Amino acid sequence: MDFSIRAANLDDCKDIARMIMELAEYEKVSDHVKVTQKDLEQDGFSKNPFFHGIIAEVPEQHKTKEGHTKIGYALYFYSYSSWSGRAIYMEDLYVMPEFRGKGVGKALMSKVAQLGLAAGSHQLNFTVLDWNKPSVDFYLSQGCFDITTTMGYHCMRCEGEALKHLAQL
Amino acid sequence: MEYKLRKAEPRDVPDILRLVKELAKYEEMEHQVTLTEKELLEDGFGDTPFYHCIITEIQGQNSSEDPKVVGFAMYYFTYDPWVGKQLYLEEFYVMDEYRGLGIGSGILRHLSNLAMKTRCTGMMFVVAENNEPSVQFYKRRGAEDLSQEEGWRLFRFDKDSLVKMAAPSEE
Repeated sequence: MDFSIRAANLDDCKDIARMIMELAEYEKVSDHVKVTQKDLEQDGFSKNPFFHGIIAEVPEQHKTKEGHTKIGYALYFYSYSSWSGRAIYMEDLYVMPEFRGKGVGKALMSKVAQLGLAAGSHQLNFTVLDWNKPSVDFYLSQGCFDITTTMGYHCMRCEGEALKHLAQL
Repeated sequence: MEYKLRKAEPRDVPDILRLVKELAKYEEMEHQVTLTEKELLEDGFGDTPFYHCIITEIQGQNSSEDPKVVGFAMYYFTYDPWVGKQLYLEEFYVMDEYRGLGIGSGILRHLSNLAMKTRCTGMMFVVAENNEPSVQFYKRRGAEDLSQEEGWRLFRFDKDSLVKMAAPSEE
C-alpha cells in the first residue's frame, strides 16, 4: 500500500485533533482530552512551538469511507537528559486501525528517529500503557527497553490543586 | 544562612555538572553520566536552549568568600496532547549537607509558579521507585504516580537502536 510521511503543517491540526481523540478512545480515556484544534494550532505552529508533528497520508483511492487520507501521526518534541544530553521524546504514535500492519507505524517512528539523530539526540523516550500488549510487543521488537521495569522509574505528575498548593508553600 | 535562587548563567556550567554527577552518585549511576561541560554550555545557553536551569547559592561565612552553588533544578517544556503544556522537571538536587533548610521546597515553589505563569497544566518528572525519601517527598506534596495509577511505562531507544530505526527500510 502506498503512503507518504511528511512534516505536519497548520492545516493538519483538524485531522491531528481527530486522531488524538481516536487514540484516547483506544486508550479508554477520551474524557481526559481537553486540547482543541485551536490549541494545537497555537501550541504547535506559532513562533515557539511546544511540539512537532509528522503525518502519514494515503492517496485518494485509499481514503477511508469518511473521506480521510491522513491516516496516522506522531507528535514529538526535543528533551534533555542530565546524564547524556540531547534527546527526543515521542509523545504520540497512532495509525488508524484499518491501516495497521503495513509498515506505517514503523515509518513514522523511523522519521522521528531520523529527526532526533539530525538534532544530535542520544535517545528516544516515550511511554506506553502496560495493558497495551500490541504496542508493547511492537516497540520491544524494534529494540527498545522498558525503563520502568528495568530501572524502576515511575512517571509522576503534579497538577490542578496540588500544583497551585506547591506554588504557594 | 542566606540562600539565593536565580537563573543559571554560562559560568555556572561547571557547578551544574558537578551536581549532576553528585546526584547520579546518590542514585548509584555515576558511570552513566557522559554529558560534558561543553555540551551543557551549547545546549543550555545557545540560540535554542534544550533545557533551562535554576540554581541555589549560599553566601559564605565571610563576605569575601564566593557564594557556593548547593542546589539546582533542570527543566524544559513538554506537551501532552490531552491537556496541553507541561513543565518537565528533569533534575532536582540539593547537596546532602544543605538539606532540611527549605531549599528544595523553595525550588519547587519557584518552578510551580513558573508552570502556572506559563499556563502549564502540570509539572511532570520521573522518580526511581526505590528512592523512598524522594517518592515520599513528592507524594506529600500531592504528586500522582502515573505509572502505578494508570499503568504508564517509560520506554527508551538508545543511540544504537535509534540509528537502526532511522535507516531506510530494506523493503
